[in-house]
Amino acid sequence: MSLLIGTFTIGFILSLLAMGVFISFRVFAFPDITADGSITLGASVAATLLARGLSPWVACVAGFLAGMLAGACTGLLHTRFKINALLSGILVMTALYSINLHVMGKSNVPLLSVTTVVTQSEHVGLKLAHGATSFNLAGWEVSVRDASVLIAILLAVVFTGSLLYWFFRTNLGMAMRATGDNSQMIRALGVNDANMIVFGLAISNGLVALSGALLAQYQGFADVGMGIGMVVWGLASVIIGEALVGTNQLGFTIIGAVMGSVLFRLLVAVALRWGLSPNDLKLITAAFVFCALIVPQFLRKKRLRSAHA
Amino acid sequence: MLEVQAVSKTFHPGTPNEVRSLRGVDLQLAAGSWVIIIGTNGSGKSTLLNAVAGTFFVDEGNIRLAGRDVTRWPEHARASLIGRVFQNPFSGSSPSLTIQENISLSARRGLRRGLGWGLNESLLERMRDEVSRLNMGLEDRLENAIGSLSGGQRQALTLLMATWLRPELLLLDEHTAALDPKSADLVIALTEHVIARDKLTTLMVTHSMHQAANLGDRLIMMHRGQIIHDFHGAEKRRLRPDDLLARFEELRRAEQLDESAAEMLAERYI
Repeated sequence: MSLLIGTFTIGFILSLLAMGVFISFRVFAFPDITADGSITLGASVAATLLARGLSPWVACVAGFLAGMLAGACTGLLHTRFKINALLSGILVMTALYSINLHVMGKSNVPLLSVTTVVTQSEHVGLKLAHGATSFNLAGWEVSVRDASVLIAILLAVVFTGSLLYWFFRTNLGMAMRATGDNSQMIRALGVNDANMIVFGLAISNGLVALSGALLAQYQGFADVGMGIGMVVWGLASVIIGEALVGTNQLGFTIIGAVMGSVLFRLLVAVALRWGLSPNDLKLITAAFVFCALIVPQFLRKKRLRSAHA
Repeated sequence: MLEVQAVSKTFHPGTPNEVRSLRGVDLQLAAGSWVIIIGTNGSGKSTLLNAVAGTFFVDEGNIRLAGRDVTRWPEHARASLIGRVFQNPFSGSSPSLTIQENISLSARRGLRRGLGWGLNESLLERMRDEVSRLNMGLEDRLENAIGSLSGGQRQALTLLMATWLRPELLLLDEHTAALDPKSADLVIALTEHVIARDKLTTLMVTHSMHQAANLGDRLIMMHRGQIIHDFHGAEKRRLRPDDLLARFEELRRAEQLDESAAEMLAERYI
């Protein structure tokens, strides 16, 4: 049971990554690889601040802001200096590797005996449970600590998702969505589309970094290599989410990204349980995204062929 | 209202693909006038419209609009003064946004966009009212994605959006060329209606000699980046599609003469 709750918790933490990837890939159609670096940036900034004894909330906010800065850099490289979108992300991601090492001062910062969001929510949970350390949920023995962390993360995700939904329906947010959809039109309506891209990528990478900050606190360390392949992971979540909700209405796509993230994490947990080597995880993830990208094309071609026959 | 002074633009200068699209174009528009632009392919008529809209900066010359020198204003800044409808009916709206979201975007053309709610009841009311007057049955589909509509419907909505806030200048770039005849007629009727209602200053490029003869109060003809004819007032009103076709035929003959003369010279001297 503890394993299942852990899987859900990580799924929800990474759903913030999925929301970030959703903004760059889907809202802006901008293949932003920066996320691989900014998730680690969020983790390393948060971990360093926590190790210095700062409040977990300060650490999360600082991680978020650092991610925004990284995203804004990618956006500026692309819009001001006309560098190809993919290359802008690669440049910033590469630079972030060194920056992350500088932030942490070493390649790994453990968070064993410091106050984190996790220990705080455990503390609150235990207080509310009046001293009980576990409770019975439909025949399962559930640890209060695990449950309270899951609930805290879930609340954070619901809050962030709602905030995003609200934002994308404001004047500014709608202009942002239209920028990704049709930049010619939005310029003709008086919007500086370059600024929209910079700001949008900042939000995207802020969310990704926040995800990293929470992940570091949950797993108890920040590591310079933890971001490798995370863009693909986020993309997989977004694709699964789209398949689950089957519509491109804004609210549903955000919920879809969260559901996709959790489901993908579950699938991975099951696969690992069945004996998949953790070393093969990235390969399988990449293969999965590959399939998810080509299957719709393949089906369309097949349908066309059968229509002609 | 609009003053285009000695504007020149060359694309890809210094390369084999060099195109001198505009060569010292001068054009003055009085407030409230509706000017039709016609010309052969590559004559610079769309380039002139884009120069005014700020899609690119001109190499030489000045553009003044509503008393302001906008020559160095970027496209999105000029949008506060200009409403635009493009040739491609899909260029003027954002497909994955709903009809009402698209219109609400145009309701803040040139204004600051903050964290205020994009849609409010008074805006929605005006939308239902204006959209129902298009007689396309779209007023009940305001929450549908605009990408699900036909080209004609999208173009009508784009025109509505371009004029939602009264623009100082309306730019129409062959806005019916990609539509079926019925939709084109509908959009033209709507165009006439809005221009008359709001007394808009309009610059309209068209391929249709019929539209060129029947619409507007002034017609200019462009060729090789220059304005070669300018018909005003009574002269414009007398113009028939056949007269315009005759002018094009004249141009074609002159061109052929140029080419054969060049050939003859080449034979003799090279």
